[in-house]
Amino acid sequence: MISCNNVVKTFNKLEVLKGIDLDVAPGEVVVIIGPSGSGKSTFLRCMNCLEVADSGTITINGKIVESKESSLNKLRQDIGMVFQQFNLFPHRTVIGNIMEAPVLLKKVTKDQAKKKGMELLKKVGLEDKVDEFPNRLSGGQKQRVAIARALAMEPKIMLFDEPTSALDPELVGEVLAVMKQLAKEGMTMVVVTHEMGFAKEVADRVIFMDGGYIVEQGSPEEIFGQPKHERTKEFLGHLK
Amino acid sequence: MNDFLSFALTYLPYLLQGALVTVEIAVIGVIFGSILGLLVGLGRVSKNPLLSQLSRFFIWVIRGTPLLLQLFIIHFAIPSVFSALTMPPFVSACIALSINAAAYIAEIARGAIQSIDKGQMEAARSLGLSSSQSMRRVIVPQAFRRMLPPLGNEFIALIKESSLVSTIALYDLLRTGQQIISSTYRYMEVFFLVGLIYLLLTTVMSFIIGKIEKKVGAYE
Repeated sequence: MISCNNVVKTFNKLEVLKGIDLDVAPGEVVVIIGPSGSGKSTFLRCMNCLEVADSGTITINGKIVESKESSLNKLRQDIGMVFQQFNLFPHRTVIGNIMEAPVLLKKVTKDQAKKKGMELLKKVGLEDKVDEFPNRLSGGQKQRVAIARALAMEPKIMLFDEPTSALDPELVGEVLAVMKQLAKEGMTMVVVTHEMGFAKEVADRVIFMDGGYIVEQGSPEEIFGQPKHERTKEFLGHLK
Repeated sequence: MNDFLSFALTYLPYLLQGALVTVEIAVIGVIFGSILGLLVGLGRVSKNPLLSQLSRFFIWVIRGTPLLLQLFIIHFAIPSVFSALTMPPFVSACIALSINAAAYIAEIARGAIQSIDKGQMEAARSLGLSSSQSMRRVIVPQAFRRMLPPLGNEFIALIKESSLVSTIALYDLLRTGQQIISSTYRYMEVFFLVGLIYLLLTTVMSFIIGKIEKKVGAYE
C-alpha cells in the first residue's frame, strides 16, 4: 500500500534521511520510534509530500508521490494526516473543521457532509461539541476532532505525527483509544510516537530509526523483548 | 461665545458639504485601496516570481514617494502627455488615494498572512485542498482578523491625508474652510471647526473598526 524506496532528504546540507526503504501492507499498523532528530517525522511528512524527498521514490496505492500540484491534491485525499499541534482551523467550529474538505473536494452536499461529520464525532466521543470553536476544547478533544477531520475524507491511509506529544499526560489515553479503535477497524496506519505502550499493544511492526536510518524493525515482541542492535537497546534502556 | 456660535451656525452647512466630499473620497479610497491592497499583498507572498516582483515594485514606488506628488502626477502630469486621461479632480483624488492606500494595505496583508502558523497551511494541504483553496478558505480569513487593527490605523490616516486633495481644486473639508477664511478672515474659528469635524470623522472610523474587530474575533 505504501512503498518507499531509498528516500533521501537533506535540509541545508544536513542529511536527515539517508536512504530509507519501507513497505507497508494494507491494514498494517506501523509504529516508528526513535530519538529526537532521528528523521522519523521528516520521513512521515515525505509520505504525503509535505516535505519533498531529494531522491528515492514513494508510491502510495501504486501512484508515485510527486510534488506536481494536481496529482498531489488528489493523492492527499486518500492520506489522512494528524499533527502534533492539532492544526485545527480556529475560525471554524468543530463541525466546520470536519466538513470543510469534503464539501470543497467531494461531490457531497452540506447536509450529507454534516451527517457524516456527526457520525465521526460520535465515533470519537465528541458529539456534544459540534458547534464549539476549537479554542474551547482541551488538547485531547482537539486531537480527536483532528482525527475526525482527517477521517471525513475517507482516507485509505492515516499518518500520525507524534499525535500525543503536545498533550497533558491525563489526556493521552483518550486519543490513543480512538487510534486503537481505528487500528482494530483495519485502517492502514503509520504512527510516529513516543508512546511505547501503544506500540507494544497495537503495532503490527515497530521501526526503530536513528541518525537518518532504519536501524532495526520487527514485531513489538522482537523490538521490545530482544532488540538486536546496541543502539536500540540503549534507546529503550533510557526509557525505563 | 455667542458670536462664535452664530458664526459656526452660519458656516457649518458649507463645512459639512466639504466634509461630505472628504467622506466620499475616503470611503472610496478605503474600499478600492483594500481590494487592490489585498490583491497586491497576495501577489507579494505568491510563489510566482513575476507576481511577487511586480507587487514588490509597486509597493516600493508608491511607499517611497509622497502622496502629494502621486496626486500631481495623476491629475496634472499624465494628462499633459495623454490628454485623453484628463479627469475631474474628484476622480483623480479617488485614484491617487486608492493606489496609495493599496501599497500600505498590501504590506499589512502580507504581514498578516505570514503571521499565520505554518501548520494551518499544512493541515489544509494534507486534506487535499489546493494552495489557492487553502489560501481562500483557511489562511486569508484568519489573516483578515489580524489585519483589522493596523487597517484601522490606515483608514484613519487615509481620512487625514485626503486633505491633500484640496491642492487640486477639490472642495473637500479643508479647502472649504480655506474658502470661508478668504472671505471672513476668521482663521481661528474656521480651523477649529475643521479640526473638530476631522476628529469626528476619525472617531467614527475607529468605532466602526472596533465593532468589526469584535464581530470577526468571536472565535478567539
